Amino acid sequence: MASLTIENLKKSYGSVEVLKGIDIEIEDGGFLVLVGPSGCGKSTLLNTIAGLEEITSGDIKIGPESVAGLHPSQRDIAMVFQSYALYPNMTVAQNISFGMEIRKIDKAVREEAINKVADTLQIRELLHRKPSQLSGGQRQRVAMGRALVRDPQVFLFDEPLSNLDAKLRVDMRTEIKRLHKRMGTTIVYVTHDQIEALTLATKIAVLKDGYLQQFGTPDDIYNNPTNMFVAEFMGSPSMNLLTAQVVDQDGLKVQLSDTESTPILLPVDDTPAMRSCVGKQVIFGIRPEALTDPEGADRTAQNVVEAECLIEVVEPAGSDTFAVTKLGGKEVIARLRADAQVVPETYTTLSFNMAKAVFFDPDSQLRIR
Amino acid sequence: MSRISQDNAVAGSRLTRALIYTVLIFFVIYYLLPLYVMVANSFKPLDEIRGGDLMALPNVWTLEPWRDAWSNAQIGVEATGLKPYFMNSFMIVIPAVTLSTIVGALNGYVLTKWQFKGHGTVFAMLLLSCFIPFQIVLIPAAKVLGFLGISGTIQGLILIHFVYGIGFSTLFFRNYYAAFPTELIRAAQIDGASFMQIFMRILLPSSGPIIVVTVIWQFTNQWNDFLFGASFSGFDSTPMTVALNNLVNSSTGVKEYNVHFAGAIMAALPTLFVYIVSGRYFVRGLMAGAVKG
Repeated sequence: MASLTIENLKKSYGSVEVLKGIDIEIEDGGFLVLVGPSGCGKSTLLNTIAGLEEITSGDIKIGPESVAGLHPSQRDIAMVFQSYALYPNMTVAQNISFGMEIRKIDKAVREEAINKVADTLQIRELLHRKPSQLSGGQRQRVAMGRALVRDPQVFLFDEPLSNLDAKLRVDMRTEIKRLHKRMGTTIVYVTHDQIEALTLATKIAVLKDGYLQQFGTPDDIYNNPTNMFVAEFMGSPSMNLLTAQVVDQDGLKVQLSDTESTPILLPVDDTPAMRSCVGKQVIFGIRPEALTDPEGADRTAQNVVEAECLIEVVEPAGSDTFAVTKLGGKEVIARLRADAQVVPETYTTLSFNMAKAVFFDPDSQLRIR
Repeated sequence: MSRISQDNAVAGSRLTRALIYTVLIFFVIYYLLPLYVMVANSFKPLDEIRGGDLMALPNVWTLEPWRDAWSNAQIGVEATGLKPYFMNSFMIVIPAVTLSTIVGALNGYVLTKWQFKGHGTVFAMLLLSCFIPFQIVLIPAAKVLGFLGISGTIQGLILIHFVYGIGFSTLFFRNYYAAFPTELIRAAQIDGASFMQIFMRILLPSSGPIIVVTVIWQFTNQWNDFLFGASFSGFDSTPMTVALNNLVNSSTGVKEYNVHFAGAIMAALPTLFVYIVSGRYFVRGLMAGAVKG
């Protein structure tokens, strides 16, 4: 087990820069999730940690030692691939022990290690099958088994659950979390699924276009996004972002104006940063769950404001009811209790949990704090 | 691997089916007729052939023409039959096929999984060698063989066929390995496998179909080659095709058609055998990658 440090990492293919100076540090036993849209460089970053791709500049350290330039097999890592990458011509047992066989480890030792891993993952009865005879979930387990058996300093997971069906994905997610808890090994995990990121991670790194957008705990990323991209990317349904005017009428307020309705005024915390925006446009961000029916509002919240909103569409989703309304000329999703009584095309009272609201500069897209 | 079955064949009426079968049977006869003529006449005594009817079955069945063609016919200076030339062909083709398949597999592996700067150019040039007409290289090749001191020998012909085979075998293997998941190579790298270990343990075991395709292709081409054989062989390295030509074209004595027929069939037997034994895999190999699963 060891910590992982990435310092000012850059990677380019010819003249195309894919990673543009990434700094990440994850403590020993941490669970780092790299998340971002397709093409953001997260898989490339993982491959450079694995040593499958060379870095252009910067450094990667596992523990105190730099591993940049080391062959993948010498970095003391293990990797689980998106396609599982099981060797098709070998049985499950051979797949798991291939690395040990290459390192010429004694057969008895190998057998013992295979059995131990097989017990951990409950794949003992699969040991003599070929990968083609396994189901998707079983292949996934074998792929993890091949990583586990190495007992590495760092585990690398490259979108390991993306080929599984929805139910199995949730099960395996829980299992990975349980495994991590039990073994306490450092994990780096790539996904484009932000739910996976939030549930698994101790630290999340959000990437976009080769830049690190934000690095922090799941709570930090979710509640304190540093820019509009992170705010919109994390969370489902994503955060509502609307244009608002900052005004000073009996305290600092934001004004959401609509062509049809009377303007809605929402009080905000009086911070120097917000005060400097008086008279200007800002982007007001509020998550669907902070915009709810008054009965469903968070009782512990400090700053809850109610307003009448015209509901356009109601989408019952079983555990919640989503209501689409229009604020400041934009569609906004509110998350109500499952049995909240809302009728489309009527005005309903919604409560805004302003303590959860965030504001961004429309030009720089950065957070105003 | 999917195969054609009732499920994915287009359903048609009885009439169209009958029509299709009629046409197919016609073509089967059309293609099999020459073979029939050759086989039937190779078992006839010469008198019967002279008598006229090439289409008739033999009245008197005899193995004499086959024996003659194999060990008695006058081809070179001595009456040796085709036997030594048959052996020559094997001694040329087997090493040449083996070597060009191995090199082709390695080329395909490097060109897809260990790409280097300019790999595209190298592949394009190898590909070009598939399309260079043989005639153009005859004189340069003769020069090279002379320089190496192996002109007119079996080794010389092995070298020529081996080098000429690399283009096609590389093309086959490169296209096959291009569809081979790179993640498997990466997984093996992390497991610590070396360049050759990955090739031997991961790639080769999954290469069965393409090896068969390459071997059939190379074997057929090299066995049937006439130009190189005629140009570069000496007295004791003449391949089967050239010997057969000498047999059929010999201007002395009577034309023993039955012996010629028997000899021609002998020359064709090895390629026929290879097709029958591994033809199934040939089709599969050509299809591999086209169909998922």
